[in-house]
Amino acid sequence: MKRITYLTCTLVVACMVAAMVGWSMAAGNFLIPVIAIPLGIIVILACRAQVDIVIADERENRIRGRAALRTLEVVAIGGAIAAIILYSYIVSIPLTPIITGKLVIGDDGTQSMTIAEYKPGSVPGPDTLVRSTTINDLSSMNESEAFAYSSYVREGFKENENRGLAGMTIAGCLLAMLAIFGAFYLYYNRKY
Amino acid sequence: MKNRIKVLRAERDMTQEQLAELAGVTRNTIISMEKNKYSPSLKLAYRIAHIFGVGIDDIFTYEEEIDGPSGDDE
Repeated sequence: MKRITYLTCTLVVACMVAAMVGWSMAAGNFLIPVIAIPLGIIVILACRAQVDIVIADERENRIRGRAALRTLEVVAIGGAIAAIILYSYIVSIPLTPIITGKLVIGDDGTQSMTIAEYKPGSVPGPDTLVRSTTINDLSSMNESEAFAYSSYVREGFKENENRGLAGMTIAGCLLAMLAIFGAFYLYYNRKY
Repeated sequence: MKNRIKVLRAERDMTQEQLAELAGVTRNTIISMEKNKYSPSLKLAYRIAHIFGVGIDDIFTYEEEIDGPSGDDE
């Protein structure tokens, strides 16, 4: 078997296994991946045994090693920068929306409040207004008004929180990747 | 690291494919070595020397200017 035939075989098997696993997950049948994945590995190994030429040698391994190391460096630096930028959304005041509350006491003593959300980093005004809600009587606030009130606090920061979450996820992935790299480094350092 | 693989191969009327098969490497590795782009491991260097029936010094020549003090061909 030639190298190109082997690679085609591997690709076809990988696609078939991925399709079967995807379909079984959607269908709720968890038995198929247990059979399909080992079967796919066996087919690929059988194809590999049929290859009569050298697929990878020391030069190929060295190239892959260096490429992996460079990828790790680029991803680690780029990921760290992205994680810091995204996380800064949580703690950076100019990036958070401006929420104002205005309390008005009526002639009959009722307290009404108007809550407004303005664009991040802007001067509060009609042009920068995103939305506003008025609660007519604070002492008899109904459920929908209470929900609207809490949503300002919650949703106003939601976008930034999501970005921060993405930043923390990237940072977590980076740390996991570096930990795995460190583990393999220690393993190979002891082995050779 | 300079080498005489191309010369020795031509002397024995051997193709790159044949040498690669005997050495247990890909043809690309032989091409890279002949262009002095890739320095083989000691194991592969000995294997090639064994195939040609010569000493390792007869094939490979170390050059300080090319290889650098660490010998790492970056």
